[in-house]
Amino acid sequence: MEQALYIHSTDQLYYLSEDFTRLYFGAEFCERLIPSRPELETVLRIVRERDLDFTWMTPFVTNRGLGRLEELLPVLAQTCPDAEVVVNDWGVLQLLRSEYPQLKPVLGRLLNKSKRGPRIMNIFNQIPPSTQDYFQGCNLDVPSAVRFLKQQGISRVEFDNLLQGLKLEGTDGSIRKSLYLPFAFVSATRFCLTANCDDPEKMDSIGVFPCGKECLNYSFNLYNPVMTLPLIRRGNTVFFTNESIPDVVTGQQVDRIVIQPELPV
Amino acid sequence: MKEMKILSPLDSIEEVDELAKAGAGEFFCGVLEDSWYEKYPVISINRRPAGKGHFRRFEDLKEAVSRAHARNIPVYFTVNEHYYTNAQYDLIKWYLDGAVDSGIDAFILTDFGLMQFIKEQGYPAAIHISTGGTVFNWRSVAFFQQQGASNITFPRHLSIAEIADITAIMPPMETTVFVLNSRCINIDGFCTFQHGLARKEVLPMFKNACMLPFEVQVCSRDMNVPFMLQASMIERQRIWERVHVDDHPCGACAMYEFQKLGIGSMKVVGRGNPLERKVLDIQFLKRLLDMLDGNISRSEFYQISRKLYQQTYSRQCRSHMCYYPEVMLDGAGGT
Repeated sequence: MEQALYIHSTDQLYYLSEDFTRLYFGAEFCERLIPSRPELETVLRIVRERDLDFTWMTPFVTNRGLGRLEELLPVLAQTCPDAEVVVNDWGVLQLLRSEYPQLKPVLGRLLNKSKRGPRIMNIFNQIPPSTQDYFQGCNLDVPSAVRFLKQQGISRVEFDNLLQGLKLEGTDGSIRKSLYLPFAFVSATRFCLTANCDDPEKMDSIGVFPCGKECLNYSFNLYNPVMTLPLIRRGNTVFFTNESIPDVVTGQQVDRIVIQPELPV
Repeated sequence: MKEMKILSPLDSIEEVDELAKAGAGEFFCGVLEDSWYEKYPVISINRRPAGKGHFRRFEDLKEAVSRAHARNIPVYFTVNEHYYTNAQYDLIKWYLDGAVDSGIDAFILTDFGLMQFIKEQGYPAAIHISTGGTVFNWRSVAFFQQQGASNITFPRHLSIAEIADITAIMPPMETTVFVLNSRCINIDGFCTFQHGLARKEVLPMFKNACMLPFEVQVCSRDMNVPFMLQASMIERQRIWERVHVDDHPCGACAMYEFQKLGIGSMKVVGRGNPLERKVLDIQFLKRLLDMLDGNISRSEFYQISRKLYQQTYSRQCRSHMCYYPEVMLDGAGGT
């Protein structure tokens, strides 16, 4: 089982230990947090020095964010030509396929649409087995979905550790799977409630507005009895924590564990 | 300049004539039969819970399509769940066959597996990418064009300027934007909460998860957040509880810009709404659309649209209910 460390800041490089053979680095949920070129270069230097495999994490992007990635991808392609790139945006995939075919696209968590909302757990034992199977499953057991991914050069898909469990039997074995621990994303927005959260005058602003990257300082724990565990809002994304080791790990249906030592925003 | 069309929800045969008369230029709809509901009681085939908001039989859809086509109005069929598993495909294929037999003009979809399946099966209907397709940039448009899509719906979470940036350089593609109702505060295609897990009477399980009342705890790397600031932050975190998706969210002012950008369709969310409400929504937009034919200025259009919104819905414009709040901040006013 490959073990990867996922960090989003060079400050977190101290988590890198001998246990990890691969490093994930980048921004997954917000284009405003895409690392700078010097940060990327720093990480790529360490990857080279420690002989690690590398995965560059990319978020969904507007044209502006696309421009930022277009500045950084030449650095990646030149320094680490066999790197993986996690795509959470079909436009980023199109960019890779057209301009950087040597880089290996990986289907990110945002494009893996498994249901993560914890409320499912309140009714899970009361719904028909067909519905349980749906909530534990994904579209990787659909032949046309697998053909699509292969046509796009994608041979790996990223998974969250679902509270209801993951059933990967029947999924195509040629598509490899990674499992993220312990943080699972539930939802993302661009109407970011962390943006300007320390400015009372912007209390009512719900829209796409500039921010001061307040997410680097604040996060919010959200409690409601109908949720079976606390939710965590960090930046524009809501997460939950699931530290249990699921059957798909012991059953070898995933071949990579991606450890997030901190929330990935 | 091509005139924008109003893309209207449609739930029954009887609604076709009324909505067409009100100004609908396109329809979108879905079918949910008992065979689906029995196996998947809390999962829709088309992002709408069981109950209202669906045709119940393909025979009815066929008649509705026939009536719409007689008025030269196309009908788009929603199969826009974010993903389908292999076990669902027998039913899915039955739905797709039924929709094509009914004469629909396009499938609205999100799931890449389904998109590939529809292409491979060679169904004689266009592919429209739902807002769940998360098209935030011009390359995503190019990607879906390469997959054979002919229309994309932009996410609710793009500003007018960002939409303009995309349309300026994207390859030829028909486009749809949201202008009325259900201003979801999470990005549709990136939201994995499941709504409608129980009947409406069990509100905490039925309601949109993002709008539930949450107790909020502030966590900060700076340990000393003043109490008043924490209180203000908590209040802000809870604002989504006030953003009721059905409280007439509106982006009508932006029609002025959208027409200049060449946007093809303006989507009115509202499958399941009563016919009277649908007619009201369509009439509201149609009156504004007709004004765009003349030489109206931007500020005049903003003023008129705000006034008409207040008259129609008995509500003031509110920034947290505005689809494109930058318009209000840009001097169009509001509360």
